[in-house]
Amino acid sequence: MTTRPGPHARLTGGLLLWYGVLGGAVAWGVHVFAAWGLDELACAAGSDHVAAVPLWQAVGLAVVIPGLFTVGSLLVAALVWRRTGRAGEEDRPFGRSRMLAVVGVWSNLLFLTIIVLGGVAVLVLPPCQG
Amino acid sequence: MSTTTTPPPGVSAQDLARLAEHWAERPTLRGWFSTVDHKKIGRRYLVTAGFFFVLAGLSALVMRTQLARPEAGVVSPQEYNQLFSMHGTAMIFLFATPMLFGFGNFLVPLMIGARDMAFPRLNAFGYWVFLFAGLFMWASLPFGAAPNNGWFAYAPLSEEQHNPGLHMDVYALGLLFLGISTTAASINFIVTALKLRAPGMSLNRVPLFVWAIVATAFMVIFALPALNADNAMLFLDRRFGTHFFDPSAGGNVLLWQHLFWIFGHPDVYIIVMPALGIVSAVLPAFTRRGVVGYPLIVLSIVSISIISFGVWVHHMFATGLPQLSYSFFSAASTIITIPSGIQIFAWLATMLLGRLVLRVPLLYVIGFVVTFVLGGFTGAMFAVTAFDQQVTDSYFVVAHFHYVLIGGAVFPMLAGIYYWLPKITGRMYHERLGRWAFWLVFAGMHVTFFPMHLYGLFGMPRRVYTYRSEPGWDGWNLVSTVGSYLLAVGLLLVLVGVVHALRRGRPAPPDPWEGDSLEWTTASPPEPYNFPVQPRVHSLHPAWDERTADSVGAGATADRILSDGRRTLITSELDAHPERAVQMPESTLMPLVLAGALLIFFTSMLLAWYPVAAVAALAVVATIAVWLWPPRRPDEELGVAR
Repeated sequence: MTTRPGPHARLTGGLLLWYGVLGGAVAWGVHVFAAWGLDELACAAGSDHVAAVPLWQAVGLAVVIPGLFTVGSLLVAALVWRRTGRAGEEDRPFGRSRMLAVVGVWSNLLFLTIIVLGGVAVLVLPPCQG
Repeated sequence: MSTTTTPPPGVSAQDLARLAEHWAERPTLRGWFSTVDHKKIGRRYLVTAGFFFVLAGLSALVMRTQLARPEAGVVSPQEYNQLFSMHGTAMIFLFATPMLFGFGNFLVPLMIGARDMAFPRLNAFGYWVFLFAGLFMWASLPFGAAPNNGWFAYAPLSEEQHNPGLHMDVYALGLLFLGISTTAASINFIVTALKLRAPGMSLNRVPLFVWAIVATAFMVIFALPALNADNAMLFLDRRFGTHFFDPSAGGNVLLWQHLFWIFGHPDVYIIVMPALGIVSAVLPAFTRRGVVGYPLIVLSIVSISIISFGVWVHHMFATGLPQLSYSFFSAASTIITIPSGIQIFAWLATMLLGRLVLRVPLLYVIGFVVTFVLGGFTGAMFAVTAFDQQVTDSYFVVAHFHYVLIGGAVFPMLAGIYYWLPKITGRMYHERLGRWAFWLVFAGMHVTFFPMHLYGLFGMPRRVYTYRSEPGWDGWNLVSTVGSYLLAVGLLLVLVGVVHALRRGRPAPPDPWEGDSLEWTTASPPEPYNFPVQPRVHSLHPAWDERTADSVGAGATADRILSDGRRTLITSELDAHPERAVQMPESTLMPLVLAGALLIFFTSMLLAWYPVAAVAALAVVATIAVWLWPPRRPDEELGVAR
């Protein structure tokens, strides 16, 4: 028998919960591979453009888009955390969702910080300076 | 054989007899080779990894003797190269991870209230592969053919034209062979923790040690393919003339470094993470309270296991990549210290708020905190690109990672050995002997490795077999060597303590420490079926919880006794709702045969006996086919019919 959360707490289960928990991690993964990959490959090819876009702007996009995705994930995790505030000790799905929400809130903050620090570097450093 | 009796369970004598009949293995030679019992396999991992640790430690003592004074001639440069390469390779691959997987094998099913690992035969196979891969690599040393290019084997120095002979073939094939074991064990841990948890053990009630093992297993699954690809390409380059790492033919030498460190930095956490899990498991018993900030420690475990995949380029800050590229990895390398710090502060708060019981396991935990924090401090220094470039390849780096790995892995392992020795062996250890061992290990570790910071900053490069007399080098090197012998004496006393406990230790009760997790609710050592009744878990600290205790007493129900076969309960992944009972496999020689066929395959490849390798490959395929051939049993018995 599987106990399911009530309709009023739909956020505590399903894909949206997992977006709140892991969204920042996924966004950061995309950010690292996109920003690093663009910079590394363009500079190795001796170019400071990706297609017609200046390299720093392309790398900047690889910072901004994952950053916004992480902010969304953070908001979802915070919402789940609020909605599971009345979890009883024996209410396992609620208790579990609340713990995952706490993990989501803090991990999204960590990943957002890393992405923002990468963004600062884009503003400060020329893309191909060795 | 139990040295103590199990507390009266909520099962009848007939049920106990049936459970014993279904789960016991015969004490014969065939039974020894064919066992699939996770406790026996866990013990074998611990002993075998301990054996490889002794070999790697003796290699280190020879190296420290050579470096005690300038221009010594204890070993030749060629021998020194092999010693430091095997020391590093064995400590990382053949000791640290397998030792922690040994703890995981023994403890994970017990901590989650299961009767075995999810795939017991795969578990046995993993052990045999580990043993054979370890012997495969160490056997090369007496022949003068051991790996000689350091544990991270940078190309192009590891390529055939710069490093002829079998040395790096042993490395590449040995690690590919070993990777099969590590991957199999990781899959097993993940499935076991997700599907075999006792009813009621939802994700927010999972012991921190189990969280750590599962996170580690996920890291292995994602990190190891990079190392395997690297080693496969190295072997193809060396043996069959491909050019993956040859720039003159369109290859790239940095490809090796990227792939190696995509594996290598997560591997630091693969080693440290389960050890941190041990710390979280040991503390409640010796502080008389749960670990502070359970959700935050879970956060730390999860976030470290993810961020560790985005820091690898900090091992390559001296390779001339663009500064902007470095900055993305520098940011992650800096931020990863936050979750690590959260765990440290959570443990300190636990000790501050709890009532300390200063026994040997807690001494090692305190030693761990001191040493690991110092290692973490120098680690944060490496996140600064400019500093990293100054000290790369110096003894400062050697000092740093020994503080991290001995502090972050060996000290918790020693805490774990003393803590779970009563559960594993059914015998108590000698407290005073344990304290002597602790102080010798602690002092020896710091006397050996702290001076390395100094002569590293004074410019001494790592991996030199000797050195000329330089200001600041000679005296501190001698101090390091004295410290290494002190450390060896301390570790010898640990071994003496374990042997003493086995031979003369007093019988251990089921729960000598008043621990909080489920393994302390079983006999010491546990019966082959672990739990007469699979418990129903009601809290994060089930052994301290009355309702969980009641669930195996008068409240025991037949669906959790399962005495009508070799069966265990499957539950849902998130909330551990009971789903069904499944039949568990019995002992078999198949894992040993398959591992043996793989050993012949890898040995034949090493020696270029390709026809033999082809026959061995066929034997591997045939063994797998026999292993996977569907058994002739009714679906109800297998647990696949509803």
